[in-house]
Amino acid sequence: MTHPILEISGLDVFAPGADGPRQLVFDSTLSVGRGEAVGLVGESGSGKTLTVRAVAGLLPDGFTTRGAIRVDGQELAGLGRRAVRELRARRIGMVFQTPRAHLNPLRTIGDFLTEALVHVAGASPADAGRRARALLDEVGITDPDRRMRQHPGELSGGLLQRVMIAAALAMDPEILLADEITTALDVTTQEEVMAVLAELRERRELSLLFITHDLALAGAVCDRVNVMQHGRIVETLPAATMRRDATQAYTRTLMAAALDEAPPIVAEAGTAAPPILRLEGIRKSYRLRDARGRADTLVAVDDVSMELARGGSLGIVGESGSGKTTAARILLGLETADAGRIEVAGEDWSRPARGGRGRRHRAKLAQMVFQDPYQSLDRRQTVEQCLREAIRVHRPRAERAALDARIAELMGHVRLDPALLGQRPRSLSGGQRQRVAIARALAADPELLVLDEAVSALDVTTQVEILTLLDTIRRETGLALLMITHDLTVIRRLCDQVVVMRQGRIEEHGTAEAILDAPQADYTRLLLDSIPREGWTPRRRRLGRTGSLATVTRSTVIPD
Amino acid sequence: MSVAQIAGGAVPTVAKRAARRDWLFRGALVVFGLIALAALLGPWIAPYDSSALYVGPVNGASSLAHPFGTDDVGRDILSRVLVGAGASVFAPIVVVLLSTVLGLGLALTAAWFGGWVSGVVARVVDVIFAIPGLVIAVLAVAMFGKGLVAPVVALSIAYIPVVARLTQTAAARELGKPYLAALRVQGVSSLAICFRHLVPAMIPVVAAQMAVGFGYAMLDLAAISFLGLGQQPPAPDWGSMIAGGQAGILAGAPEQSVFPAVFVVITVLAVGIIGARVTLWAEEKER
Repeated sequence: MTHPILEISGLDVFAPGADGPRQLVFDSTLSVGRGEAVGLVGESGSGKTLTVRAVAGLLPDGFTTRGAIRVDGQELAGLGRRAVRELRARRIGMVFQTPRAHLNPLRTIGDFLTEALVHVAGASPADAGRRARALLDEVGITDPDRRMRQHPGELSGGLLQRVMIAAALAMDPEILLADEITTALDVTTQEEVMAVLAELRERRELSLLFITHDLALAGAVCDRVNVMQHGRIVETLPAATMRRDATQAYTRTLMAAALDEAPPIVAEAGTAAPPILRLEGIRKSYRLRDARGRADTLVAVDDVSMELARGGSLGIVGESGSGKTTAARILLGLETADAGRIEVAGEDWSRPARGGRGRRHRAKLAQMVFQDPYQSLDRRQTVEQCLREAIRVHRPRAERAALDARIAELMGHVRLDPALLGQRPRSLSGGQRQRVAIARALAADPELLVLDEAVSALDVTTQVEILTLLDTIRRETGLALLMITHDLTVIRRLCDQVVVMRQGRIEEHGTAEAILDAPQADYTRLLLDSIPREGWTPRRRRLGRTGSLATVTRSTVIPD
Repeated sequence: MSVAQIAGGAVPTVAKRAARRDWLFRGALVVFGLIALAALLGPWIAPYDSSALYVGPVNGASSLAHPFGTDDVGRDILSRVLVGAGASVFAPIVVVLLSTVLGLGLALTAAWFGGWVSGVVARVVDVIFAIPGLVIAVLAVAMFGKGLVAPVVALSIAYIPVVARLTQTAAARELGKPYLAALRVQGVSSLAICFRHLVPAMIPVVAAQMAVGFGYAMLDLAAISFLGLGQQPPAPDWGSMIAGGQAGILAGAPEQSVFPAVFVVITVLAVGIIGARVTLWAEEKER
């Protein structure tokens, strides 16, 4: 008799509420067969994480469930507490989104890996050490002996996530629950981690329940995909044919391919007009201390030059640590460049503005939208207060009626319901907050808008809304966009020029079509190859392929 | 201006919500309200003249005429507690307000400018921190003479380091947040960022610290009065009343010390409970 290794049927999850329990997951049913990989895809708040947490017994206090969870045919509800704990400890492994938050920064990787083996499995410390090294080797970590002695702070995000996978494998589980394990990683690192998982599945006959918001990724690594929305599984599709079989409008929305791709508008041909932005030889380095406390210099931005035409749109692409955000902060006067020249609309902006008058003048030309809309708005201000302040800066003596009219106009620009004016950021969704941030940036009527990963913290459908909005605003107002992102698909939608940055240097620049369709630099090709798509299989980049490139996750540290 | 506006808008609504939930907090508010009322109206509601001698028996026990009894020179203890409430409750409030304004000013200067400015502020704060508050108070009394002014000023200075360190850390953390960078990019002036955004962000921390500081200030002032350096006789205050009653305790008439002591404890507890709730609220808000 073969049972599926994990079977969830009719699972309801309730959160405790002031007026009775609130249902968050409705009648969720899915099964994972032996050796099978099943994806659970949905946006934030769709209930996918709650579903897995119910399986792992990790629901927050006060949460209640109804329905059945069976592991290898055994109903969890029918077992005693000890048996359930044993079952969860030995047959289910779980990996989370943020490995760094789950590791004690003061303990070594070795301590972390051997702890469970010694205290739960009762192995001797020597055996546990051997086993831990074998596990690290299995997840493709080179030089496990050295890693065992290192602290989490010395390892990159991709390596830490592999350590977490190794730890989850310590008890030889039959199924791995992976909750957004690659969301916080760069595309190239994501590919490596996924390749490790694919290898493990082959070698160990490991089943996988893979939770992600990225349908393309789930489709590429799973056998079947469940799409979840508002706490309900709306559709279950075989991964190989999901593009054809999808019947739900929501699933189609999630597939980036289903979105209409309006061609980016080309800036007016008048090349004689001076560019709105010109950077020449920008360099920025930071002094810091390395692991042994010696002084070091980190070169964040190294000899970067670029140009953006009036009304044009330029994308800066790169992974974390590539210096793209630092470049933008220098441009807006939030950091001072060590060397180089910045010119905006013909003015010299090489040094940050001194004094309020200079800052206000620059604010009218260039504005910025920050990555995380949860943090870039003052949580104590209502939407109205926030916009009113942004407008007032430039029109201190404006009449109240004029301000109100302008606020209404801005809300219209970003397609926000005026009823939200009295709300504080806390009660807005991520997309609404980012709209407020964009409205605030538009308040000064700038000629240049810098968007620093402005959509990367948002759900896919919200991303599309915001990008479409930006595109429309650009068409309406002739605003020039400087788009900083790690996501090449964002570039395709919105930019006509692209600069690819890596470790503070520009690897390649050119038109969006040229870079995306016929990349010249190895690194650009690597970035493009790492994007999950139909028929994509994650590969471990062997040295032969990327040997010419240093490890991407490390920053350039040159001795002082 | 808007600081007051935000404080006036945000704090009470949350306090109100907390009050509806929390009887302990509500009770503490009521108790503190009554004590503040007594402190305000003390001289008018006191049944006897607080300084009048022999209005009752010497070391008299509680009776209908004198609910708290009478002291070693026959003064009515209830009247003295009520009249003494003024000095005993308002002096710590002044200490807390002064030390908060000075400490917050130093902390914001240090956090805002960083570099050598924050170094200088840190050293100044260290120097003040190195001297115990009571020693500063005794020194101030020696210099300015006895009375309430010297201890209040001295304690205000002595409490600066605690406020400054706490708020400087909070302010530095807040300054690193993207929303303040966003305001700079918008061209908002430094003063406006500081007073419209940074200071309101400090309110939860500062409010909690003020409540704790009030308790300490009250106990320290009571201790100073107890040493005979604060409020001067015959004007009553709780600390000196406790001191004056020592002999009575040995003589089997503890009322003179016990009643003011009970009021010190009740007031400090009430403010402490209010402070704890404000801290809790601040933590909730930071989520």
